[in-house]
Amino acid sequence: MLDFTFTEEQEMIRESVRDFAKKKIEPIALKMEETHKIPDEVIEGMAELGLIAPTVSPEYGGQGFDPVTAGIIAEELSRADPTGSIPVFYLVQASWGHVFNKYGTEEAKKEILPNVTKGKWFLGIATTESDAGSDVLGTKTTIRKEGNKYIVNGEKMYISGVREAYTRGGGHITIAKQFPELGAKGMTLFYLPLQSKGIIPQYIDDLGREGISTGGFTIDNVEIPPHYIIGQEGKGFYIVHEGYEYARGLIAVISAAAGLKSLERGMNYMKQRKAFGLPLAKFEALQFKLAEHYTKLSYLRWGAYYALWLYHQEMLGKASRFEVSKAIAMAKMFAQEWACDAIDDVMQWQGAFGYSKECVDQVAWRAIRSFGWAEGTKEIMKVIVSRELLGKEYISYK
Amino acid sequence: MKILVLVKQVPDTSDVKFDERGVMIREGIQSILNMFDQYALEEALRIREQYGGEVSVMTLAPEQAKSALQKCLALGADKAYHISDRAFGGSDTLATSYALSLAIQKTGPYDIIFAGNQATDGDTGHIGPQVAEWLGIPHTSYVEKVEKIENNVVTVKSLLEDGYRTIEMKLPALVACIPPPNFEYSNPTMSGIIKAKNKPYIWMKADDIDGDKSKFGLNGSPTRVVKMYPPPKREKGQIFTGDYREAVRKIIEHLKEKKVIE
Amino acid sequence: MNLSDYKGILVVGEIYDNKVRPVTYQLISKGRQLANDLNTKLYAILLGNNISQFANDLIYYGADIAYIMEDKILENYVAELYSAVLSKFIENLKPEIVLIPATHTGREYGPRIAAYLQTGMTADCTDLQIRNGKFIQIRPAYGGNIMGEIITPNHRPQIATVRPNVFKAENYDKNRKGEIVNVKPDLSKVNLRTVIKEIVKTTQTGTKKVDEARVVVSGGRGIGSKEGFAILQELADLLGGAVGASRVAVELGWMPKSAQVGQSGLTVAPDLYIAVGISGTIQHIVGMKDSKIIVAINKDPNAPIFNIADFGIVGDYREVIPIFIEELKKELKK
Repeated sequence: MLDFTFTEEQEMIRESVRDFAKKKIEPIALKMEETHKIPDEVIEGMAELGLIAPTVSPEYGGQGFDPVTAGIIAEELSRADPTGSIPVFYLVQASWGHVFNKYGTEEAKKEILPNVTKGKWFLGIATTESDAGSDVLGTKTTIRKEGNKYIVNGEKMYISGVREAYTRGGGHITIAKQFPELGAKGMTLFYLPLQSKGIIPQYIDDLGREGISTGGFTIDNVEIPPHYIIGQEGKGFYIVHEGYEYARGLIAVISAAAGLKSLERGMNYMKQRKAFGLPLAKFEALQFKLAEHYTKLSYLRWGAYYALWLYHQEMLGKASRFEVSKAIAMAKMFAQEWACDAIDDVMQWQGAFGYSKECVDQVAWRAIRSFGWAEGTKEIMKVIVSRELLGKEYISYK
Repeated sequence: MKILVLVKQVPDTSDVKFDERGVMIREGIQSILNMFDQYALEEALRIREQYGGEVSVMTLAPEQAKSALQKCLALGADKAYHISDRAFGGSDTLATSYALSLAIQKTGPYDIIFAGNQATDGDTGHIGPQVAEWLGIPHTSYVEKVEKIENNVVTVKSLLEDGYRTIEMKLPALVACIPPPNFEYSNPTMSGIIKAKNKPYIWMKADDIDGDKSKFGLNGSPTRVVKMYPPPKREKGQIFTGDYREAVRKIIEHLKEKKVIE
Repeated sequence: MNLSDYKGILVVGEIYDNKVRPVTYQLISKGRQLANDLNTKLYAILLGNNISQFANDLIYYGADIAYIMEDKILENYVAELYSAVLSKFIENLKPEIVLIPATHTGREYGPRIAAYLQTGMTADCTDLQIRNGKFIQIRPAYGGNIMGEIITPNHRPQIATVRPNVFKAENYDKNRKGEIVNVKPDLSKVNLRTVIKEIVKTTQTGTKKVDEARVVVSGGRGIGSKEGFAILQELADLLGGAVGASRVAVELGWMPKSAQVGQSGLTVAPDLYIAVGISGTIQHIVGMKDSKIIVAINKDPNAPIFNIADFGIVGDYREVIPIFIEELKKELKK
């Protein structure tokens, strides 16, 4: 049965988040480009409303929201914050909160998740390293069991929220090799508190999403207790993909929302601005671009919601892992490109002004550009879809 | 304590856009919970916090007002009454307040009734006072705050144009509320929205409230809107779109001429 | 209800701070005109204690009969008391039209009277007319963006409330003759459950009253913040005027309610009204349309305010107002 409507409850959620975002996020969004942080007040407000990691079960402080509802919240946050900082803050915690909720030990969940949903601690994901991004198996960080604890050594790089977890509290779900000889079956996922002894952070000044930090950290003989292991030893490679996929679905929604919002700004502009005695909106060159981008981004949006819906179906036992992987990869494949293309044209319509730092659209472009690689590159999305279509025997490399 | 809040869903006319003829664009205007009513609800919830009891919300409106009542439940109200029937179509404030008073008697008795001082679409401010009159209870309008309830007496702060009055009323009474400036309206929390689903939502039709049907709807409405038209225009003035300084100089010249500045 | 039993127009006046509130005389002046159109009598009533000295002015402004309802119990206004005694009075008098000031008190007790009498009431009328013998009540509708004409065809009395300064008090004639009638309030059905504990006046120091200023510089949503109003104050000070605000600006907490101009605020008619960042909904326009000169500054060339402005500048107030101030200073130096 095809039903493209959201539930009454979802509409109420959308309205509440939109209203909150209009009052509390829109007025401060651009300032984050300078302050490089999300205001405490906004984080508190989000926590109060129940917007942080709402995918976590209620007994740990979450709302038990399904992926589509999580997507709705992401969409509204994206519309309100062109810097992308709050959308990223949200999507990382929502996605990896779900993984933690599903695979974490009871003890760890009780200890950590309520602090995350209250906005006190940041929960991130750390799989990428200086020499290994798409090639997760290229991870050099190791974890070994010693008596009743685990010792971790290595480094992670290009990680979101390092400063947030290091200064406020919290940690990152991290992947490391436990049994190198087992390849994909030898990796383990675990929670790594960033304020642990042996962690040294560093920060990167990147192109956008200025309100949330990007950085890395070295891990020098850091000890973690057994209850911080997520899922079983050796299952990390498989579990981590569930998190990536959730995040990718949210990224697709966020990209569509940011692109469509930019088009709205562009439409207002082209109605006002005149050239050769006519408003720009009367020129078909611009009209056609508008129609094309709007069409692509609208389909992106529905594709994203479909993928998130399918993810939910898998949670209910009604869809397979592979169907979901494919749908999610399809949703993310063109998300960044299509959104950035649309935003780039909106900048172009504004001529020289579009090139100035005053232009909001260039902020949005820089934010969305990060989604070309975050939580999985667009190239990998093509690898995934090909693999699902052709079959495992055609994979060239592991 | 049994507390009731009367609410209304109104078009969101605060963000109205106009087309190039200066005519208001009606499509795509959202419907929202009347802000005065939301304030009344938040005051009522505060009173419930302090003194215990149950807060019900009630509206007389077409079905689409459901989202406004749901919002009230999500904000913390315990129960919703939605009175909706073709029979009420075309009601003016007298017919509306009459039907509401019947529903109140049917679902009550209530210790205290809250209402927004006015609705942002009609701005009449009639419903609160008229419901109070139909019910034969005292009321106060322009209430910015309920100070306390003690010994079955409610103390309120009611605004004047240049000050305020502190007023005591014996319960049951009706309080018509006006938000203080800068009031921070609450947004429904996620858990509030989830809980709202399971709260009683009671639909009532004209037959469910015992009363004089001739006083319902259009037939029960003494007032009629007979005509609607755009506002009268003054003679078109001079609109400057170019250089600001030049425009300003011309205007100042005119003001000097007309002796507004000397 | 036999409509022909109802004759005459009644104006309910208001005593405030031991004086007759000016809106009373404004409504009597308008009532006089309507009474002439209908060829009927005009009545006015005041409630209170020790108020008989005010009776003459009611006559001089145009009332044929001035009713003075005096009683110790009426000394302080209480909603349920005033509505009860006025309801009984009107029930007996049977006027065809009743005009009530749309002040805080009028908007509080007035609707109760309409409910008691089970008749129609129209709030905040911006004009009243007699056309073909019918009483037409005109007010903004749909959130204030269109004008609506309202009638109360089959019920009496037809009650209308009107805000201060919508009409002018005029034709004061000390030689007018009229009747003064003292009436006692009918307290038979009164069951007082309301007590006024205190009345506190909060006077604003230094701020000019918006509805008394010769020049008003008003800001709306386009100002964008509370701080943005500072430059409007600067301009107003230079012009010897007051700063007003649209409803949106007040709702957003940038300006106090006492500065609000519009249908649910003040009606003003200064020599100069400068509307800054105000789109010009009817809601606002009805409060300032009678200003002698209207200047509008707005970024949106389609803003309806430009339809009623004598002069308009399409632009950002943050750039325009400083230039205005600069040029004004130059001019004033001359």
